[in-house]
Amino acid sequence: MPQLLTNKRLILLLLGVILLVALISFSLRDRSNVSLPEQIIKDAVGAGQSVFSRPAHFVTGIFDNVDSLLNTFEENQHLKTRLEEFASVQAEVKDLRSENEELNQIVGKEEDLRDYNPIQATVIARNPDQWEEKIILNRGSNQGVAENMAVMTATGLIGKVTLTTPTTSTVELISTLNPNYRVSAMVVGGDKDVFGLIEGYDAERRELLLKRIDADIELKEGDQVISSGLGGIFPKGILIGTITEITIDEFGLTQLAYVKPAADFSLLNHVIIADRVMPEVDGEDNGVTGDDES
Amino acid sequence: MIRFLIPLICLVLFFMEPVFGLFSPLNIGGELNYIVPRFLIMFLIFLTLYYDLKHAMFYGLFFGLLYDVFYIDIIGLYSFLYPAICLVASFVFKRVPRNLLTSTLLTLALLVIFEFVLYQFFLLISLTGMPLGTFLSTRLWPTMVANSIFLVMLGWVFKSVMITQLSERDNKIGLY
Repeated sequence: MPQLLTNKRLILLLLGVILLVALISFSLRDRSNVSLPEQIIKDAVGAGQSVFSRPAHFVTGIFDNVDSLLNTFEENQHLKTRLEEFASVQAEVKDLRSENEELNQIVGKEEDLRDYNPIQATVIARNPDQWEEKIILNRGSNQGVAENMAVMTATGLIGKVTLTTPTTSTVELISTLNPNYRVSAMVVGGDKDVFGLIEGYDAERRELLLKRIDADIELKEGDQVISSGLGGIFPKGILIGTITEITIDEFGLTQLAYVKPAADFSLLNHVIIADRVMPEVDGEDNGVTGDDES
Repeated sequence: MIRFLIPLICLVLFFMEPVFGLFSPLNIGGELNYIVPRFLIMFLIFLTLYYDLKHAMFYGLFFGLLYDVFYIDIIGLYSFLYPAICLVASFVFKRVPRNLLTSTLLTLALLVIFEFVLYQFFLLISLTGMPLGTFLSTRLWPTMVANSIFLVMLGWVFKSVMITQLSERDNKIGLY
């Protein structure tokens, strides 16, 4: 019987395991910076991946089209009922917009937390082993994408950029379990805006947790949650979701709200990266706040 | 030209995995089912069984490294596991009769081990907090079903490709 482990093989195996552990601990420790060889590999694989993802998006597009065709009648009915409402709302929006502009001119305010330059991007891959909620986009630092920028679809916020290379960028979805993942948010709909932090995700309910809300403030179910822009990175006003339940948090000091995300995280295709116009500062949107660095 | 058939298949399977990954998680009856495509490792196990171990381990190392760098950002995880699984496959197969049925079953069994090792690893570095029961029902089970469909459909193609490649190689050696 040929022996599986001769002396030479055993030494090689041991060396391999040591190298492996060293590599894993090295890459786990410092996951926000990409070294040059990694960048080259990422860009090369990304180029190949976009070739393969294009036909896939084409096929899913066809399925989507068929799906929406099947629902046409119901949707049409629904839309007709909303149409009258829409006209009046549109007139109001126009009026408010012009008024807002005038007022901004009067006070001499040029920049707003809401302003951002949209960068259109296509999802070329989703982390195939799905242990981490990550997607990879076909736009990178060459197109002006930087770390910590907000990423959204037409329906709402989905995540933020965690890594960039010249032609690709990695996005960590908001449904991650990463405890350092925070988005400063606000609840609109009441008399006053309420501020809190999106921290964590309940995988069972598939809802986000909005924490650190003052216990005195009364919230309603169905209120909308948007990004507040006060975290320093994200623009203001990106829809995150709607509140479904309000409870007291584990320490009993502040309130916790469950937020149903507005965007659908499965079958992502085209996304928008928001490059904020206002200067960006380190804050809780960043993931590296002061206490994390110790 | 035909010499590059095996690396070409590896490359195509490597790029196909995330494309199929885009369809997951699949929502069936309110339950989220994670389907993880594992085409490449299945092909590599077949490569071990019908071609040779050295090639399989080399491809495993190469594509594992690409996988690590591009998707996982933890270097050394897949680039170790891919060749390791190939090594185990060749070791086990010395004692088992070699036909399509046994190799399919062995591949699926190894895939379960592979998934489980990965689960334990991600649990260890606390990237996931999924309890074992949830893992078995929402990840392992759908993944195994989807991958066995793939393997049953394409396993014989893999086998015939490798056997033709192998006979071609042997013929060439005979010429010299």
